Amino acid sequence: MTSSPNPVYSVSSLTKTYAGMDTPANEAISFNVEQGVVFGLLGDNGAGKSTLVKQMANLLRPTSGVVNLYGRPVWEDPLLVPRHVGYMPQTARTLNSLTVSEALYFTAHLRGCGRRAANCERERLLHLWDLKDIRSELCSRLSGGQKRLLQLAAAMAGQPPILILDEPTNELAPQRRRHVWETLRAENRERGTTIVFITHDAIEAERAVQQVGIMHRGRLVALGKPSDLKKELNQQLRLTLRFQPDTPPDLPSDLRPQKLAEDHWLVFLDHDRAESTLSALDLSRIDDFHLHSATLEDLYLHYT
Amino acid sequence: MKARLPLPLYLQFWDLFLIELSNWRWAWRNLVLTGTVLPVFGILLLGSFARELGSNALSFVLIGNLVMALLFEHMGKMISHFAYMKTAGSLDYFATLPVRKAMLILAASLAFFILFLPSLVVVLAGGALILRLQLQVNPLALVVVPLCALPLAGIGALMGVTFRTPEEASSVGRLLTILMLTAGPVLIPPDRLPDWLVWFGFLSPATYAASALRQVLLGPLTTRLLLDSAVLAACILFSFWMVDRKMDWREG
Repeated sequence: MTSSPNPVYSVSSLTKTYAGMDTPANEAISFNVEQGVVFGLLGDNGAGKSTLVKQMANLLRPTSGVVNLYGRPVWEDPLLVPRHVGYMPQTARTLNSLTVSEALYFTAHLRGCGRRAANCERERLLHLWDLKDIRSELCSRLSGGQKRLLQLAAAMAGQPPILILDEPTNELAPQRRRHVWETLRAENRERGTTIVFITHDAIEAERAVQQVGIMHRGRLVALGKPSDLKKELNQQLRLTLRFQPDTPPDLPSDLRPQKLAEDHWLVFLDHDRAESTLSALDLSRIDDFHLHSATLEDLYLHYT
Repeated sequence: MKARLPLPLYLQFWDLFLIELSNWRWAWRNLVLTGTVLPVFGILLLGSFARELGSNALSFVLIGNLVMALLFEHMGKMISHFAYMKTAGSLDYFATLPVRKAMLILAASLAFFILFLPSLVVVLAGGALILRLQLQVNPLALVVVPLCALPLAGIGALMGVTFRTPEEASSVGRLLTILMLTAGPVLIPPDRLPDWLVWFGFLSPATYAASALRQVLLGPLTTRLLLDSAVLAACILFSFWMVDRKMDWREG
């Protein structure tokens, strides 16, 4: 468990076993989330990430352990989490009978904004998340991606100091995903909003995340700054190659590629060999290549 | 730490009431069909049998069908709405807002009652016309009608949050509706029912609702209205208290 002087969240020995299940969904989880940090939770399906954030949002009773928000157990006061946290769930079927505009207004107003402030907040969020054209649409008629953006906007309505987002970029097109990460980064930078999010998309999350927790089979197997955690990985460069399966590229004989698929190789390179290896490649036989240092995805794959 | 204060309770209620009222956008078709058309057909069908039994039997047909509409539409809608909110994550959404559970329950109950009111008026007026009954609507109806509807809303909400799936809740809800309609003098006058069923009816809020509605819509008012109102008020308090207890924001 990392120590910090003023953690927003302090999770200690948290365990959840669902009724009728033998194995816990998450077990003995301890960590702190500091004020103003963007904290990414990575992990494979069923790793216990959603269970963890639901416990942090006080939507799920832990079997044992404690979740403190600003030093107080979240279940001590039913209004403690709602007053400070904007939560975006994984499912997107809430508020189906409202229009986009109504959903944002009511969420902001119920979070304590005055009527005029709630109207301003609605306009800000419609603009921020590019929802202006669908402001009069019923939420039930939105596409999966539009519902996701609306939920993000609703979580941010009223500008709560903490956001907990369960897979915010699911079902979004690439340019929308990029917009989400840029917006969240700006929210964190400009307002100091603490953001806790879950994602499977380690590559895109890398742009936003300042602290990362990696979950595997209900346990937190890695925790820290991405740059610190990456030091434990192979420090060689990664060269990924995509090509037509019947015309694989020729590589120097001492380079042994990892065959990720019949048309996809991964080659580890020492830094001083990068230039010569790339120069020697016949680019006409390659569809796509990337040269990069260790990423969050490598970290994720390493631990899971 | 920058956090806003929760809204005053009356503003929480008003917002939640408007949110719940927006359910008319999907509910109106069912309200027309099961809330209006089916009870009117029920009145036509049962009225043809009851006509020769006199105006007392006809009054049971009219009020019984009103109660049936209340059970199927008002209570049924509350069952499916709360069961849906539970499975769709809407309760999680409300749980992460600084609002009181009791305000949500009250807002949903009143909103669905308002949505049901037009059906109630159409069935009452249409039924009286079909059965050639003279309506004698007492001003007390303004209090008694909500008093009859809200316990059923409370029971509906309780069932919605208790059962695991919307399907399970709806099935048990239909069974309960039939039990409440047949147990006690709701559709059929007490002199046509076996004694044990009349006594059994005293356990059902539908019996008290039917009795109260009959008095304030067709007359005459008797002291029985005091008993009916007291029992219905107690049912409201008990069912709302139970929903508030049962509807834990946090899953187990």
